[in-house]
Amino acid sequence: MTRTFVAKGMEIVQQDMQQILLRGKGDGSFADTVNKEISLLPPTDNLRMINNDEFLFAKQSFDQWSLVCLKPKPEKEIFRLVSAFNANEEILASDYSNTTYFEITGENKDHYLSKLTHFDLRTKKFPISTMAQTLIARIDCSIYHFQDKYLVTCHSSFEDYFKDRLQDAINL
Amino acid sequence: MSEHKIYFKFDGKTYGGNEGDTIAAALLRNNVKLVGRSFKYHRPRGIYTCGIEEPNALVQIINEHNEPNVRATVKKIYEGMVVKSQNRWPSLKRDLGSINNILSPIFSAGFYYKTFMGPKGFWKNVYEPLIRRTAGLGKPPREFRSKSIHLHHNVDIVIVGGGFSGLLAAKKLAGTNYDVLLIEREDSLGGILKNTKKIELINDQNPSDWIEKTERLIQNSRNIKVLKNTLMTTYNFSDHLIAVEDKSVGKPQDNEKPELVLHKIRTKQTILANGHIERFISFRNNDLPGVMLAASFEKYIQKYGVVPEESPVIFTNNSSTFSLVKSLVDLGHKPKAYVDVRDQKKIEKETVELLNKYNIPLYAKSEIEGCEGKNEISKVSIRVKKNEIIKIKTSMLCVSGGFNPDIHLFTQSKGLLKWDETILAFKPEKTFQNTITLGSVSGNFSYEKLIGEINKKLDFFEGINDLEIKLNINGPKKFQIKELWETNHAKKSLWSKSFIDLQNDVTTKDLKQAVLEGFNRIEHLKRFTTNSMGTDQGKISSINALGIVSKILKKSVSEVGTTIYRPPYAPLSFSAIAGRSTYEFYDPERKTPVHPWHVKHNAVFEDVGQWKRPWYFKKHNNESMEQAVQRESKQVRESAGILDGSTLGKIEIKGKDALAFVNLIYTNSFTKMKPMTARYALMLGEDGMVKDDGIVCKINDQHFLTTTTTGGAANVLAHMEEYAQTEWPNMNVYMNSITEQFSTFNISGPKARTIMSRVFNNIDFSNESFPFMTFNNFDYLNTKVRILRASFTGEPGYEIYVSPKHALTLWERIFYYSKDLDLVPYGTETMHLLRAEKGYIIVGQDTDGTVTPIDLNLNWMIGKKKKDFIGKRSLTRSDIVRSDRKQLVGLVPLNKAYGIEEGQHVIEEKNLNTPIKKPVKMLGHVTSSYFSPTLNHSVAMALIKGGNRKIGSQLYVSTSDLNVIPVEVVKPNFIDPKNERLIS
Repeated sequence: MTRTFVAKGMEIVQQDMQQILLRGKGDGSFADTVNKEISLLPPTDNLRMINNDEFLFAKQSFDQWSLVCLKPKPEKEIFRLVSAFNANEEILASDYSNTTYFEITGENKDHYLSKLTHFDLRTKKFPISTMAQTLIARIDCSIYHFQDKYLVTCHSSFEDYFKDRLQDAINL
Repeated sequence: MSEHKIYFKFDGKTYGGNEGDTIAAALLRNNVKLVGRSFKYHRPRGIYTCGIEEPNALVQIINEHNEPNVRATVKKIYEGMVVKSQNRWPSLKRDLGSINNILSPIFSAGFYYKTFMGPKGFWKNVYEPLIRRTAGLGKPPREFRSKSIHLHHNVDIVIVGGGFSGLLAAKKLAGTNYDVLLIEREDSLGGILKNTKKIELINDQNPSDWIEKTERLIQNSRNIKVLKNTLMTTYNFSDHLIAVEDKSVGKPQDNEKPELVLHKIRTKQTILANGHIERFISFRNNDLPGVMLAASFEKYIQKYGVVPEESPVIFTNNSSTFSLVKSLVDLGHKPKAYVDVRDQKKIEKETVELLNKYNIPLYAKSEIEGCEGKNEISKVSIRVKKNEIIKIKTSMLCVSGGFNPDIHLFTQSKGLLKWDETILAFKPEKTFQNTITLGSVSGNFSYEKLIGEINKKLDFFEGINDLEIKLNINGPKKFQIKELWETNHAKKSLWSKSFIDLQNDVTTKDLKQAVLEGFNRIEHLKRFTTNSMGTDQGKISSINALGIVSKILKKSVSEVGTTIYRPPYAPLSFSAIAGRSTYEFYDPERKTPVHPWHVKHNAVFEDVGQWKRPWYFKKHNNESMEQAVQRESKQVRESAGILDGSTLGKIEIKGKDALAFVNLIYTNSFTKMKPMTARYALMLGEDGMVKDDGIVCKINDQHFLTTTTTGGAANVLAHMEEYAQTEWPNMNVYMNSITEQFSTFNISGPKARTIMSRVFNNIDFSNESFPFMTFNNFDYLNTKVRILRASFTGEPGYEIYVSPKHALTLWERIFYYSKDLDLVPYGTETMHLLRAEKGYIIVGQDTDGTVTPIDLNLNWMIGKKKKDFIGKRSLTRSDIVRSDRKQLVGLVPLNKAYGIEEGQHVIEEKNLNTPIKKPVKMLGHVTSSYFSPTLNHSVAMALIKGGNRKIGSQLYVSTSDLNVIPVEVVKPNFIDPKNERLIS
């Protein structure tokens, strides 16, 4: 865990997490396969997320889910999970661990993010326990809305650029 | 009003102003009235208004990177500011350009269109350079790096304008559940309450106390955010608004802070409370410094505490100027004359009484005929009766020709307007978006009716109460006006002019002439005369032009119609539009996990999509790109090279119908393909043209991995998704982009196998165990790697796929094990050279969206027995099977010393006459060309008509210096045509 950026009323912490991207029908067979491995039932509403201490599970679209391991796991365990999901011939699971994760907290987090994204972050439009896929600093990102923080993810190839933009948003 | 003194320079002379003064206010404080020269005639110009509508007082701020055309009536002064007047030489008072004014009788409307017709060649060589040199007002800014930023807002309601109407609307919405953004272009709220003496008391409080109290209420309400110094510039579709905030008002620019903030606002409802703009009246020499709009004159008194002239002459056609007289007499000053075009009986009794009380001469049913002076007004001529003119000495003339509701934003929103005969102005009639207009912008010039209007128009918002406001109004309660666009003036000289557009130097005579010449449509007339086409968009005069034209055409103003006001409302800096998307943030950057190693080893990068890819690696600082590429290429062919191919697109496809899906997406057949083998595959569009290529790896019939070009990755995935979701929704197939999840290294060359065997010493890389186009997964470094035997160089090659987390370690280990094997890192340029030597295509370079697999001689990649695939039908069209289509061939120069240039034409002619007088038949063009260090001559690929039939023949390739070089047409495969090295 690295403390990355601090500004007035906001803190951004880069986290070490892993992720699996799942595609499938979302039917009973899908839910059973998932539940067997992580003891969570996949959310059924689009852009809804559920989480426990270990996992965050979000429905990104009608046939796509992201499973984020909030606590780092051995790489072999991720491979095992991917294989277990892929054993169901109607599921495609891909290891998406090469993603960059930022936890953003503080009462001014919306203000700083609004320098980088047009997305409507007001709670009445972006409720807690929902997620969004949108552009932040002109790159594809996902935002997961927890009770008191956002988890923002983007492709790791953008990591340096994204950090520069975050720092720039704080500086200006 | 602050008394703190601030010193600034104008045209080299130091002046003092008060903190909060605009440049105009400070100059007027110092009795400076001449501030610039006009655009066309270089006539002396002064300060006409007190705000954003200013057409004349445009200056250059020297210490702000030479920022030109800054409105002196808006820009606030600060200590050390250096301001310069524009469009004059050598000085403002003595400007040589004013010779244009002497020549002005010949510069009539359409002068440029009519005059610069000939002789032939003069436009390009004489007129245009001359006009370009003289056109424009200020000089362009010097290079600077803006720190302007963008800020996004999502709100329920935007209130544009923090004047009286806007404040009342905000007060009504305070404490509700609506998120409200109040935008005010000035540095304080209150608008007309602060700028005039029109309202004496609000709920028995003086206006400034009421403003303060209301502002405090708004600030404490938590649901309303106020942005001051913020100009709403644009009202787009879908209630999307753009406003620009000046963060450096009254202070020098700080290069480390944003000077401007561009606010991008999404709202559900927009309340326009942006007021009105006073308009002028045309008369002889109405452009002389000293002529100023009456309301602006009063604003200088009330807002800035500057009295531009203690005894001005006032000229009006309406009831609003009472307030100006009151402001002056309250300070103990007295206008020299009050000239009203209305009959005395029609002039409001409050005004007459005030004039009488202070013994101010009233000239009713009179008008200003014109004014005289050199660099500013010295006297005005008043026509008191039809033929009787009296002259009064004065240095200032305050003019009010009525008011226009500020409808610019409303029309930007596509709202419709209606002409109102009682106020003689266009006002909003029908909204197109969720827009509410309040107060004078809606054509309501009565303060008493304002409260009722706000209560009525905002009553649909939830949780609000009716406002109860008691107003004590100074002077006339009802707005009254008499139509007057231009006064009759005696022709004093050829150089006396009655202006309709001060910024573009358009006269009322120009309008008349344009109509005479047949430009009787207002949009045509506008363009012919350039009326209201300046940066002020004719804010104080465009309606006057309609009035004058309506008289000439003998039509009503509503029949003449209005021109369209386009965004932005006022000019805004490009730096605000660009925001942070400049310089280092011009485009997002993607880096591979090995990027730090590349940097350390002197890689020169090229942008491929958003990726930073090593272009070539400099061995030493003096090595040129050409030298580096030749060295890298030679080394790959002689020993081995490694390329960071992590940017290559990768897609995982899985599902019960994955095989059928892949068979439909690609031209090749994958049915009989064995598991754990790979195949080079082509993807076509519906039109049969090559869209992308890559390698398809088959894990089993339900699971595939494919690669795409770096730049095409996102499009290919979208293409697959589109077909899976819309064309074949019954198929059970899913795909994920895994481009980022694997780093890819391509090792190739004669020593590639040795290197691989050393790095992965438990794997058998022999031809028998690991044949060409097969792959497998292996455990390595506590992770998994996938190794594919494939090559894009023609040499034996392997592609290693590894988790990015382990990529840098593995990359370094490869070099560690290759110390004695002369392994070279190479970049994209060498990759291109090597593949071209082998005749491998690059989609997008050797194809351009009009090339089929048949054109590329890749017929072998088309699954002939396949029932269907995307593009199959198109490949049978007669045009596609024509034998004279452009086909891909190789070219080799006959004289091996010559190089072939990429993009040059392939022709049959031996010589090109210069200049080329008759068309030269073009057979095609060179798509790729490189100097091969292995063959020691140039090799090229070209798409030429009937290329296959021309193999063995001699053609010519043009050069950039208009020569030709003879070439032999060959098959596009220059090295190892039998693939012996590749599969060895």
